[in-house]
Amino acid sequence: MDVKLSDPRKIFGAAVLEAARHNPDIVVLSADSGGSSGHGDFKKQFPDRYYEFGIMEQGVVGIASGLATTGKIPVFCAIAPFVTSRPFEMFRNDLGYMKQNVKIVGRNSGISYSDLGATHHSLEDFALTRMIPGVTVLAPQDPGEITSAVYAILEHKGPVYMRIGNDPIPDLFEQSPLEIGKGRILREGSDVTVISTGTLTGAAIEAAGFLEARGVSARLVGMPTVYPIDRDLVLESARSTGLVVTVEEHYVIGGLGTIVQEVLSEELPTKVRKLGLPHVYATSGPYRELLAHYGLDAPGLAASVEDFVNKAR
Amino acid sequence: MLGTIELLERHAARCRRSVVRMVRSSGAGHLGGSLSCLDIVTALYFHAMDVDPKNPGKTNRDRFILSAGHKCMAQYAALAERGFFDISLLDTYGKLNTKLPGHPDMHKLPGVEANTGALGHGLSISVGMALGLRAAGLESRVYTIMGDGELPEGSNWEAAAAAAHYGLQNLAVFVDDNGLQISGRTVEVMNMEPVEERFSAFGWATRSIDGNDMSEIVNTLGALPFEPGKPSAVIAHTIKCKGLSFAEGKMAYHYWKPKEDELALAELELDEAVRLGEAG
Repeated sequence: MDVKLSDPRKIFGAAVLEAARHNPDIVVLSADSGGSSGHGDFKKQFPDRYYEFGIMEQGVVGIASGLATTGKIPVFCAIAPFVTSRPFEMFRNDLGYMKQNVKIVGRNSGISYSDLGATHHSLEDFALTRMIPGVTVLAPQDPGEITSAVYAILEHKGPVYMRIGNDPIPDLFEQSPLEIGKGRILREGSDVTVISTGTLTGAAIEAAGFLEARGVSARLVGMPTVYPIDRDLVLESARSTGLVVTVEEHYVIGGLGTIVQEVLSEELPTKVRKLGLPHVYATSGPYRELLAHYGLDAPGLAASVEDFVNKAR
Repeated sequence: MLGTIELLERHAARCRRSVVRMVRSSGAGHLGGSLSCLDIVTALYFHAMDVDPKNPGKTNRDRFILSAGHKCMAQYAALAERGFFDISLLDTYGKLNTKLPGHPDMHKLPGVEANTGALGHGLSISVGMALGLRAAGLESRVYTIMGDGELPEGSNWEAAAAAAHYGLQNLAVFVDDNGLQISGRTVEVMNMEPVEERFSAFGWATRSIDGNDMSEIVNTLGALPFEPGKPSAVIAHTIKCKGLSFAEGKMAYHYWKPKEDELALAELELDEAVRLGEAG
């Protein structure tokens, strides 16, 4: 069976273009990054609303803030570490502290620039951006959700960080408009809840199928908004299944897993296993092989969840 | 009838007195830079900028960005003098929950356009504002004050390149070149000379002036933009703590935590300067 795969960057760029047709305030900023971020058509159709700056991400984040003070809605997309860790203070002060309506999008996030090595990986971007008060952090999970997320963040007033991957992705679920701050139950189950976000939700769905065949019933929750997290859904799931596993293409500290633990430890102490990248500089190689190396492909995820459930039984 | 310059100097004298009033409230403050850039700030608020204290958010206002946010006492003094808020608010400087923090906060005080303080941010924000104002078809200008001590921040030069690339003639930067920073003389801490030539090499139109001479400041403001299609940079040679005789040009007064007798001496001297100005 042929599965239709879509380039997340092209889906993202097309959604920004579509939104920009209806909202003249939307402008696109590029740090020599617009073409690779899916903004080629935007540049052609709205040359006056497309600003190229060359490679100066600190400058661009500050400039985005200034543009936003005049009513523009700047969208700035580039390789994830270069829009988060590099200009972090500009993100914190000029967007966060100044409460400016700017949308920062990190593409090729996680380890998707697998062979380019640790300089180009972003495994701390959830942790960094969620620490800035007022910043909403998203990681949409399939093509339809990326489109829906773009419309949602452009409607939302305030600074946003959204991350997308690089690898072509399949449609994962029937679409319903994304509501910021809300997760969705993708599959019901009774032994364990698997909460997944972003690029790994496809693998998590596949893993849930493997688990079922091995007698483990997993509830699967897709969490496109990493922060602020859908607390009610986290609590309800933990209450329903007991054990919780989190899945993210991010360090196992500081991201989705940590956020879920914060909620649970306060209100409903629950055993949580966090799946993601270990807190080291990741090795390099082909993307799929790298995911498997860290146990983040479907068989790896299934094995970790099964082990967790068995130990708890 | 007072001329423009005398009137501006009178405002500047009152603003200098307000700076020391804030130090009295807080017990300390960034005195040196606040006083060195104060004549420029005064000329901007009372001569150059189209701003309306009754409608501080009006769309077509000119923007003032204090990149060197630690010099905020100069801006607070000018905003109060211009009527953006009651002058008694200055007596909350340094107090719990004040609207006048040690670096400006746009969400607390009308007239403040950006949350500066971390150095090397103001110019990028200014460039974005100038781009946005131009895109909106507005004639509004962006006026930015930078400190000479913040010039080594690399982000400034990212913004400087972008301003020239986009031909932002609606942007004017004043470098408050008082020659001193916490660790010593700026040229010894990190030599960024020749500053004017650096801006020029980045594609800016430039001038050097005496930044404590009101006539020169006013003439300079009248000449903006210096060249069509280019952002303007003014290297304003100033004196740290200008207007306070015992502190002028002294590094120790970058951040001033005065003893009572020195504070009283400062108040006496600046009261006298205000009185002389009013006597005209």
